[in-house]
Amino acid sequence: MKGLAQRGNEIAFGSFAIKSLQSKWITSRQLEAARVAVTRYMQRQGQIWIRIFPDKPITKKPAEVRMGKGKGSPEGFVAPVTPGRIIIECEGVPYDVAKEALRLAAQKLPVTTKFVVRRDYVEPAKVK
Amino acid sequence: MKSIEIKGFKRETLGKKATKQLRKDGNVPCVLYGGEEIVHFYAPVNEFRHLFYTPNVYTVNINVDGKVYPTILKDAQFHPVSESPLHVDFLHIQDDKPVTIDIPVKIEGFAKGVQAGGILRTEKRKLTVRGLPKHLPDELVINVDDLDLGKTIKVGDLNFDNLELLNAKNAVVVAVRLTRAARAAQQAAQQQS
Repeated sequence: MKGLAQRGNEIAFGSFAIKSLQSKWITSRQLEAARVAVTRYMQRQGQIWIRIFPDKPITKKPAEVRMGKGKGSPEGFVAPVTPGRIIIECEGVPYDVAKEALRLAAQKLPVTTKFVVRRDYVEPAKVK
Repeated sequence: MKSIEIKGFKRETLGKKATKQLRKDGNVPCVLYGGEEIVHFYAPVNEFRHLFYTPNVYTVNINVDGKVYPTILKDAQFHPVSESPLHVDFLHIQDDKPVTIDIPVKIEGFAKGVQAGGILRTEKRKLTVRGLPKHLPDELVINVDDLDLGKTIKVGDLNFDNLELLNAKNAVVVAVRLTRAARAAQQAAQQQS
């Protein structure tokens, strides 16, 4: 996939996000693993948004099968991602929690990512 | 409304090559429109720090080669990966001409619903308003003292002097949501009765 993400490259809902720095297909399983990692670390606090959706069907031939004899059978779905694409956003947790949660999520993904924060974000005043 | 000043320099050459060179030298190409003339200028990227990386909104006095233009930030484009500013649009403001601008919402008070165990959620951080430049406030103050558990304040419920709200009337601005524990307790109580 050529080029940078021309859409879906800005934080739209939350305050924190991870952004892809590479072009790759992200499978539905990887995305689900990332979602579970974020939810577990945030202990069901706050809210998350998955900004990509695996809607591209991928086929694969079975192991030890010779070439030819038609196309392989559908194996699963992927979401094509280009550099700059926001993958997961979150909100309603402190900066440190969001950063760690999204770091854990990024480890489940096949792309290098970058942690980004909403441009007008200010740390809420702590209640004493 | 608070204002900041940006010192810019008129662009002599337009086009892709000149624009790329400007960005390489640490400048941001900008355009100013809405007045008698369209001004193409550039300014060092550091000048925009206080404009972009803040929840506040400002009127911007742009000083291009000694001539000062009162403006507002209309649009800004950023690089998809590095997020550095690529281009900025400013709109010239006149005292007798209404402008459309996004103004931050400030929540004031201690909601009844929060006292009862709910969570206050600000669904809209900014509201789009239309009004004369002299009437534009720094922030839109919304009092939530009377907001009960499960209740919301919608755009249609708000009213500000000399300002017209342009968001959808049924858009929720602030809400007191039930926590998961409170919701579970409520459901358990309903099942028992």
